[in-house]
Amino acid sequence: MITKEQIDSYIEKIPPAPKALQETLHLLNTGELTKAAKVASQDLALNNYLKNLVNKPIYGFRNSVSDISQIFGILGVSGSQQAVYNYMMNLLSPKDWKLFKLNQNSFHNLQDELSTNWKKILKFLEIQDKDIESSITLLPASIIVSEALFREKIADINLLRSVNPIDLNTVLQRLCGMDLFDICEQISLKWEMPKYIAQIVQASSGLKPSQDKEINTLGRWMHLLLFFTLSKPNFIEAELNDFIDFQIEYVAEIYDDFSSLMEIS
Amino acid sequence: MRALVKNGVGIFSPQGFLDGNNSVSFLSIEDIEATAKLNVDMILVSLKKVVFFNRNGLDAFVKMFAKVRSSNHTTVGFCDYDTKKFNAIRKFYKNDLNFSLFSSQEIAMLFTSSYKNQNKNVLLFSEDKSQRAAMAIELHDNGHNPIIAQTEDEFLEKSKSEAAYDYIIKNTYLGQMGQSIATRVTGNAIIYTVSSFLDAEIGNTFNIAYHNNSLNVGFRLFIFDAYKVISMNVHALNFFSKLASSGAEYNATICFVGMTFEKTPKAFKETLEDSGILFYNQMDDILQNKELLEELGASSAANIKNKRVINKTTVTELPNFIEATVATIEMMTNSKATKEAANINTIAITDKTNKIASSIGFYGDMDGMVILVFPAEIAKKACALLIGEDTEDIELILDTLAELVNIVGGKLKTLLSDQNISVDITLPRTYPNVDSLLEIANGKKGVQVDLAFDNDKFLFFLTR
Repeated sequence: MITKEQIDSYIEKIPPAPKALQETLHLLNTGELTKAAKVASQDLALNNYLKNLVNKPIYGFRNSVSDISQIFGILGVSGSQQAVYNYMMNLLSPKDWKLFKLNQNSFHNLQDELSTNWKKILKFLEIQDKDIESSITLLPASIIVSEALFREKIADINLLRSVNPIDLNTVLQRLCGMDLFDICEQISLKWEMPKYIAQIVQASSGLKPSQDKEINTLGRWMHLLLFFTLSKPNFIEAELNDFIDFQIEYVAEIYDDFSSLMEIS
Repeated sequence: MRALVKNGVGIFSPQGFLDGNNSVSFLSIEDIEATAKLNVDMILVSLKKVVFFNRNGLDAFVKMFAKVRSSNHTTVGFCDYDTKKFNAIRKFYKNDLNFSLFSSQEIAMLFTSSYKNQNKNVLLFSEDKSQRAAMAIELHDNGHNPIIAQTEDEFLEKSKSEAAYDYIIKNTYLGQMGQSIATRVTGNAIIYTVSSFLDAEIGNTFNIAYHNNSLNVGFRLFIFDAYKVISMNVHALNFFSKLASSGAEYNATICFVGMTFEKTPKAFKETLEDSGILFYNQMDDILQNKELLEELGASSAANIKNKRVINKTTVTELPNFIEATVATIEMMTNSKATKEAANINTIAITDKTNKIASSIGFYGDMDGMVILVFPAEIAKKACALLIGEDTEDIELILDTLAELVNIVGGKLKTLLSDQNISVDITLPRTYPNVDSLLEIANGKKGVQVDLAFDNDKFLFFLTR
């Protein structure tokens, strides 16, 4: 029903690669904030996206911030990098979602919630690594790919699930030998992220733990954060909550720290 | 979210976090309606993949349970949890735990009709005696072999030989059983627990209908566990005084245990004593003193004010009453019942020797009382399943008999609710001999059905 080639072709499209965007990302990777801001300001849509982002109440600025170099300054290298990744995702995200009951706004919220809380977690774990900070963008990215893969086959998938209510991630795995986290890995390679990023995302499946203790810890936190976020009403209604299988035992050892960090009572 | 139906059990499997904000997103109105239409034995919500929940989070599912239960009387509840989650649910729904809890789906399956007659050896334990009995009976009814641990120590000891059992049940609760308003103890006393500040609100929170029906059934000793009472005001004082005077018509005794008068006027104690209420420092002062227990609880009960006659509504439901009783006793004694005679009159017991009895009241859309008179041998046989061994200890037999009659009451409640008749049941009262029963039942008119279990005569009497 869905071939490996189809998946590759979707991943190929990531990022859509306008030159200015690619160059901005490259400069951000090397830590050249000023130069990156200069290049980024050539892309008006990115400009607009960044302005909207940084002026959201969550950032808490009294006055409107509109200068790109100022925005990059506020976000820092890793924050800017993540914002650009999220922007790329927005370019990719479908106008109308068919399988998942999302829209541009709710998808945007998903990205924001994951990014903000992931940042909080990394601060708690005292990890400063811009690639690890950006790794969280891979999850929404692979949700887009999954939507694109499934949207043409919705009737078939619904029929399949009415007979045997398996989670979509398993459907994906059975149909094309790749699950959501494999797609994340493919995207991370496409984005030329370091290899350990793919390992973290794979570990966050809860099914493919890493031998590396630190990577595994990050995988646990990411897995729990994913379910914390997917337990929000709008994402349950979007049918994202049962997309993948929650591995409760995998996160048991970090749950207490997580609940106090996220102030769950 | 829809339930996954397998082997007659519909299971919901929410994932992640369950709180008041998101629980309604898991269950839409359509989902609830679809669930109510399912033709299944059980509807369960698995908490296996739920890492966090609070009461608000569970409430959406509990509301669905009520809807499903009222439309098709399916067993409903939660499953797949650990001890921490089990204790949390019991704490959240302390006084209104009217759904079941099964530690795993496998354990739940033992209680379904689709897994009957597998003859599995099941070790079980619950701190609540009624629960132990209810589970044992359900399991036996389903063709399994329940082994009951009477204490936690015994359970831990027996659990060590895991290979001896196919299943081990702990942290499980059958929701349709039991009575949470009061606790029955040996000696036919009812204990009510009261706490903090007692004021006019006691009139609303105290279940007076239940109390009156307990009087009607024959309970004579009511103990208020007042260890946690901080103070009492004049409204509560009036309430208890009235309660004592109304109980006096039945020769009932009301006691307060553990009540301090540090923040309550001393004069209140005198007023309460004047109205007949007794005060004790410790619960054991009453419960461990058999003579006192007898004196307080077994006083003559002949002085019943209202002798009511049985009515048509009650007689119409007679087949349900008989079915609930016969099915339970047949199953417990492994013998077949035959009906010998039925007539409407006052209770008539020709041979009074070697017989024990029990009564249970019901009230709500209809009210009345069922009296069962057992030859001691049948009672022993019926109770052997619950006790786990043969015993001659009459107190233990009476206690176990009360559990058995409680189960008859539970079954009856379910049968009547199938016909939209809603009743509550009182706790069962037991009588060590026929004479003590006749103090309550003599002169009451009702339907008497004589039954025979193999060669043993058994008497069923339905009255008001």
